[in-house]
Amino acid sequence: MLILVAKRLTAVVLILLALTAVLFALEQTSTSDPIKTMLGPGASQALVAQKRAELGLDDPIAAQYARYVTDLVHGDLGTSYRTRRAVSADIATFLPATLELALFGLVTAVLLAVAFAVATTLRWPGAGAFRLLLMVGASAPAFLLAIGGIVVFYRELGWLPATGRTDFVDAPTGPTGLLTVDALVHGRPAVLGDALQHLLLPGLAIAVGPAVSIGRVLRSSLVTTLRTDYTRTARAKGLREVEVMRKHVLRNSIGPALSMTGLQVGLMFAGVLVVELIFAWPGLGQYTAQSIPVDDFPAIAGVMLLLGVAYVLINTVVDLLQAAADPRIEA
Amino acid sequence: MRAPLAPPTTALVAEVVDLHVGFTRNGRQVEAVRGLDLQVRAGEVLGLVGESGSGKSVLSLALLGLLPEASQPRTRGVVRVAGIDMLTASPQVRRQVRRDTLGAVFQDPMTSLNPTMRIGRQVAEAAGSGAEALRLLRAVGIPDPERRLGSFPHELSGGLRQRVMIAMAVAGHPALVVADEPTTALDVTVQAQVLALVRRLRDDIGCSVLLITHDLGVAAQVADRVAVMYAGRLAEVGPTAAVLQAPSHPYTVGLMKSRLSLTTDRHRPVQALRGGAPDPADVPPGCGYAPRCPLAMDPCSQTVPDPLPVGTSAHLRACLAEPSRVQDLALTAAPVTAATAVPAQRVDAGWAARVGGIEKTFRVKAGRGRKATLSALRRVSLDVREGESVAIVGESGSGKSTLLRVLAGLEQHERGEVELGRGGRPQMVFQDAGASLTPWLTVGELLDERLRTEGLPRQERRTRALAALAKVGLPEAVYGARASELSGGQRQRVALARATVVPPEVLLCDEPTSALDVSLAATVLNLVQQLRRELGMAVVFVTHDLSVARIVADRIAVMYLGRIVELGDAEEVIRSPKHPYTKALLAAVPDFGVAPPALKGEPASPLSPPTGCAFHPRCPLAVPDCAQPSLDVGLERLRVGADLLLDADSRRVACIRPKEL
Repeated sequence: MLILVAKRLTAVVLILLALTAVLFALEQTSTSDPIKTMLGPGASQALVAQKRAELGLDDPIAAQYARYVTDLVHGDLGTSYRTRRAVSADIATFLPATLELALFGLVTAVLLAVAFAVATTLRWPGAGAFRLLLMVGASAPAFLLAIGGIVVFYRELGWLPATGRTDFVDAPTGPTGLLTVDALVHGRPAVLGDALQHLLLPGLAIAVGPAVSIGRVLRSSLVTTLRTDYTRTARAKGLREVEVMRKHVLRNSIGPALSMTGLQVGLMFAGVLVVELIFAWPGLGQYTAQSIPVDDFPAIAGVMLLLGVAYVLINTVVDLLQAAADPRIEA
Repeated sequence: MRAPLAPPTTALVAEVVDLHVGFTRNGRQVEAVRGLDLQVRAGEVLGLVGESGSGKSVLSLALLGLLPEASQPRTRGVVRVAGIDMLTASPQVRRQVRRDTLGAVFQDPMTSLNPTMRIGRQVAEAAGSGAEALRLLRAVGIPDPERRLGSFPHELSGGLRQRVMIAMAVAGHPALVVADEPTTALDVTVQAQVLALVRRLRDDIGCSVLLITHDLGVAAQVADRVAVMYAGRLAEVGPTAAVLQAPSHPYTVGLMKSRLSLTTDRHRPVQALRGGAPDPADVPPGCGYAPRCPLAMDPCSQTVPDPLPVGTSAHLRACLAEPSRVQDLALTAAPVTAATAVPAQRVDAGWAARVGGIEKTFRVKAGRGRKATLSALRRVSLDVREGESVAIVGESGSGKSTLLRVLAGLEQHERGEVELGRGGRPQMVFQDAGASLTPWLTVGELLDERLRTEGLPRQERRTRALAALAKVGLPEAVYGARASELSGGQRQRVALARATVVPPEVLLCDEPTSALDVSLAATVLNLVQQLRRELGMAVVFVTHDLSVARIVADRIAVMYLGRIVELGDAEEVIRSPKHPYTKALLAAVPDFGVAPPALKGEPASPLSPPTGCAFHPRCPLAVPDCAQPSLDVGLERLRVGADLLLDADSRRVACIRPKEL
């Protein structure tokens, strides 16, 4: 297992190195000129030349790349042309809101997936209707779901809020930046309830699609596992059906669903960025959306790198979880 | 008229009364069991024999109260275990009976254990505690049981896994152990060990065992009584000796005759039951066996015979024919015809294929991220003469299939030569005919594919394809059918037609009969022999079954862990085996009579073949020299000093102690 962990971590480092190379190459080939973005179109030749030298843009490409990677390792993602602040500081500001939404979406997706898979496999009453509802939801893109959700639950019914993270002007801002957690830390249940209400619509909008993907994979592996000889053996031992499910069926069914969850997380990031715009969610999606029109390359690259790191790490964790669940998986 | 009950003096642990089980499969009503009466007495081993579709496995599931709900079972009658009717009791009550009274061993030990749970926990689930699990593992003869508690199933060999299954089955002292084909997936030497274990546990624990098998020979070894099932009904039941010595049902006679043994006449076609088993969705109204029965009379197709006593009340049979006519049937043999005798092999024949000094290794995962080298073939040499049939016999891991695949050019070897005669590429027939035929192509398209390489016009190709089908005994209608529409036996015929539609010089067969029922296997063997004769092909036939090898082959090569250990004339090798491994293999072939002495130990892993002669850890003749790492024992003629021990020029044995052989 240790060897497996070491191998996977090596792979993570290599993949991230490749990602930085791609980002660097994109920056080099980009038609936008960072100096012009920074100094404005009317800057003098001398000023431009001085700024280029200052930023090291006249150095050889290899040296620039080495400096880029070294800075990254030290947590320096560069300075945003737009906000004039360190990109890392910007990200630290906007990340918690996105993280909270993404985690909420992921948990919702997994819960919906398990409910979907178990209910349809064991033919619980109402499973068919539940399945139909999810399938209809999953066949629409996240932004459409988001808009539809706002129209129905905000405008028509008035049950749920449509914008932002909270209605409280004095909502706590620390220590984690995750509003639900901070509300608990500060002992303010009203803020917690309000934060959850705000999470519900955007969270569901990004969760339904992945939930169906994960749920279908889990369902088919549950069906397969229920038919296996070892499930029959477990029943022949006289185990209770609950024990058969818990000890023999679920663990052997979870592998493919884990893989699918890892893959869906990537899609979910994309969904989060779009959904944030619709719900005016103050997260990385907003930040990126504002950076793109002004060619704020360090900001865009910083967010891309962060998402890449998160995606790779999550899938590495999924691989390790699978190896832990199934002793036959070896490096 | 119902069968009389067993004598009241004998306690029953399970009783089946007029059991009917039907399923809905693909929208069709299937009658799997159609009125079965059976008693399992306390402390007995009851052997239940039947071919696939006879309903024997459905009966075992009914006894366990585990009929698959997805198939919507419809049941009638009574299946009483420990006083509980397993058909009508609530799921909780049935579960309790399984827990307290029943144990189960299933066919495939590779798939019947949970792959993600340690052995110790799986046994403890049935045994109640870790200490009891350890005791059970020791009782079923698992070496180093303390260490094995922490193993996962994939770290154990098939034989050990089946022992683990048996340990779980006998946990908690069950009154009845239902063993459904417990040895079918095992090697023959391991099968003998497991059967001996079943018998010993019965003696120690005093439980009853319902041993379900398709092989009358297996039942004969360990059962006190034998029940024969056909098409969901009982054909015959009685004490083992009575059923085997005086079979009183034509089906039992047919089974015994189509069963290959080491004494079956090689010069006649193997006797096959005519026709196939009835479609369980459309069983004839009378006796299910009537359409295939040589003794069938008019009433047989209308009247369902009930099991009635023959002579003693312990021996029942369900047949309308006179017992004496059945006895006569048992004594008649198929006539020898000149056409069916296999031609003597031409002495002056050249070779059709030869391999010399072949070495083949595979890189495999060995756990903890390491790779290991599996030596599948270790310097194997073999000549196949024109028109000759050579059988390669060995257990799993012996390299027999790899050798065949090297011959076929499907596998690259590292060292040594493969030479083929004039005929070009050999053709191959596989064990699983269903999986080796492309599912979306019709039989005609499959055959056409082969013929197209010959550059024939379309009409000619069609004619040739139809002729090939006729040759393997298939009707023209099969030309347009796909594999899924054919039965197992028909698929194997199509595979043979595909391989021979352009006659190859060498036909390679990889266990083509081991997935088939006894009666179907016999017809396929006959077909291979007939094609070989008519097309003048050489045949290389891989099998784990010595009695099959003896029937199909002129010469037999016995393989153990990647080496040929004995090579010689088929009849001679069977009659007087020389190598200790060949002797052990022969002794382990189940037959009517006493249980064979079980060879100690399991086949060693090809990942780490023992040094010297790889067989020495299991060999009764082994001396310290046999384990010498420098020892490289090759095939030699048997000689002591200058004297050849065997006249037969062809015999070669790989052993350093020829004097003792």
